[in-house]
Amino acid sequence: MIFDRRLILLATPRQIGVLDWRPGHMHWLGEFAASEAGLAAFRQVLLDHAQLPVLLVVDTVDEDYRSDILPHVQGRARDELLQRKLKQVFRNARFTGAWRQARETTGRRDDRYLLAALTDGDWLMPWLSVLHREQAPLYGITPMAMACQHLLARLRVHEQHVLLACRFSNGLRLSYYHDGLLRFSRLIGSDMPTQLAGNAADEIAKTQLYLSGQRILPREARLHVLLLDLSGQLDSAQAPLNADPAFSTRRVELTSLARALRIPQDFLAATAEIAPLAAIAGEALSLDLAPPELLRRHSEFLWRRGLNWAAGIVAATGLTLGATYWLHAQGLRDQALQIRVETQSSDARHAAIVRNFPALATRPDQLGLTLALATQLNRKPLDVNALFMPLGQALAAHPDVVVKAMTLQDTADGTADITLEAKLADFDGNYRAAMSRIDGFVARLAATPGVAAVERLTSPVNTAPTATLSGKTIGEAGSDETRFTLSLQLRTS
Amino acid sequence: MNLPPIASLKTSILLLLAAVSISAVGVYWSHEQDTEARAALQLQQAALNAARARQQQGQTEERLIVQHLDAYQALIARGFVGEENRLAWIEAVQLANQDARLYGLSYTLSPRAAAPATLASGLPLNQTRMVVKMPLLVETDLPRFFDALSARTTGVFRVNRCRLSRVSDVPPQPVNHPELDAECELLWFTVAADVKEAK
Repeated sequence: MIFDRRLILLATPRQIGVLDWRPGHMHWLGEFAASEAGLAAFRQVLLDHAQLPVLLVVDTVDEDYRSDILPHVQGRARDELLQRKLKQVFRNARFTGAWRQARETTGRRDDRYLLAALTDGDWLMPWLSVLHREQAPLYGITPMAMACQHLLARLRVHEQHVLLACRFSNGLRLSYYHDGLLRFSRLIGSDMPTQLAGNAADEIAKTQLYLSGQRILPREARLHVLLLDLSGQLDSAQAPLNADPAFSTRRVELTSLARALRIPQDFLAATAEIAPLAAIAGEALSLDLAPPELLRRHSEFLWRRGLNWAAGIVAATGLTLGATYWLHAQGLRDQALQIRVETQSSDARHAAIVRNFPALATRPDQLGLTLALATQLNRKPLDVNALFMPLGQALAAHPDVVVKAMTLQDTADGTADITLEAKLADFDGNYRAAMSRIDGFVARLAATPGVAAVERLTSPVNTAPTATLSGKTIGEAGSDETRFTLSLQLRTS
Repeated sequence: MNLPPIASLKTSILLLLAAVSISAVGVYWSHEQDTEARAALQLQQAALNAARARQQQGQTEERLIVQHLDAYQALIARGFVGEENRLAWIEAVQLANQDARLYGLSYTLSPRAAAPATLASGLPLNQTRMVVKMPLLVETDLPRFFDALSARTTGVFRVNRCRLSRVSDVPPQPVNHPELDAECELLWFTVAADVKEAK
């Protein structure tokens, strides 16, 4: 992460070095002696880099490592178990820590721990006081051997039994790693005679014997020794060690180290201690020797950073959403403006069209309808001649039928209704004969072309079973008694 | 990670609350702006559609006016459009009766009424009922009268019903004496003018 910047401190009893680290970049801020001036300068560095998380890597001879097998428990029970165990093993040591390295695969499947402590941490107190005063968020104290473990991982060393011999300004550090995990480490101070080049091989051999004696290293195991000394003083130890079949020794070259850590060679050559610090800088802390009260500032720092991040994310999200909505709204407004202009233009065109309209007595869309209606109504009125034609033909065939009245009705659907009131010219009282003559007239009408239907409405004698029929046989019969009414439907088109 | 004292995080908490508040207000305000702009755009789009429809209607009406104006003005001149012209109708039936060499007539004009909707085709069509009674010599006088009326009048009318009845039972005589009575119902049509909607 670009904001994952931190200070990595390398503390020794004589001095403290400061590395300003962030992924891909680092800057060595210098070393400060354990003196008033050094403490003041160190304080100034902290002030200049306030609010950066701090990791303290301790490189001292006063350290102790124990491997132990403990029952597999979790949570608060594990914390209490480890506290008791650390108290029991390291007595009153203030800087202690436990690292659960692995779980046994057999038996109770217990947990295997590495317990570590700074047996003498008094020399560290002035530096911690400065950190405390400046409220630096210390996130851990870890031994140099742990930093070297990450260096091994960077160098891709996969052998099972590895002894890393590092020579820095503070002395020669010998650390044993089993399957890449720290099991033991010791520092031989630079003021001791073993720092002479010829004695390095002896110290390594003694360490191997110690590890075997403590059953940390199996007796038959071949120990792979890595010599890390950029000054080249350990080179002479390689030949005597390789002469012993129990060792397999090789040097770590500056080029491979720089490539593994992605650090320029000249930068690395100037300050060799940067190598383990750079290796551990971006890694999670496995073994932390800091008591909880020293980590309080870092806890605050994490909370504060989380809250600030949350605020930033919320603000950025709000800004993005707000800007998106606002920009979208502006786009819509622009569209609305364009449409308004288009609407005004369309209205203007419409107004120009309507302005030239003549004054009309109706709406323009009704002009055509009015004309069509006029055409429909203006057709020739009831064609009386056409209606008289079939009627005249029937009457000519029946001269004994006298028309009394006739009503013509235009039904406007291509037909006309005629109601014909007539009587027979002469009547001798024979209703049967009269009805027969009327029937003949009706039949004649029905057969005449142009006649759609003929219906007899009234007859001289109503023989319907539902009607009341009355008459007289006294006196002379008149022709009015033969009146009848017919309804005709004629086709006019 | 244990929660440190709230007091030590006061500034960060306030910062977060401020960010949440300002962001919420900003997002709400901009969302409202967006909603309003969307509604305004929809309104404007509807206005544009209406304007386009008006313009298209105007063009259609312009075309209709060009196409039908002359014929429509002729209808106005004939009296089909506008107020009814009863005097012209009365004169027309009288002159038609004279032209057909008939024997006079009597007439009755009813108040104007709205024509049936099926006939009106959605127009304000009115009809005025005129009943004409006149004596006839023979039945064929009736079509001659209607032909003369069609020639005399410019109005639009329709013969709705006619009743012919014989005055007496005497057979037709070769003298100029009408023996038939005709009673006809004519419908005169007019379309009411609507000047308000003309433009």
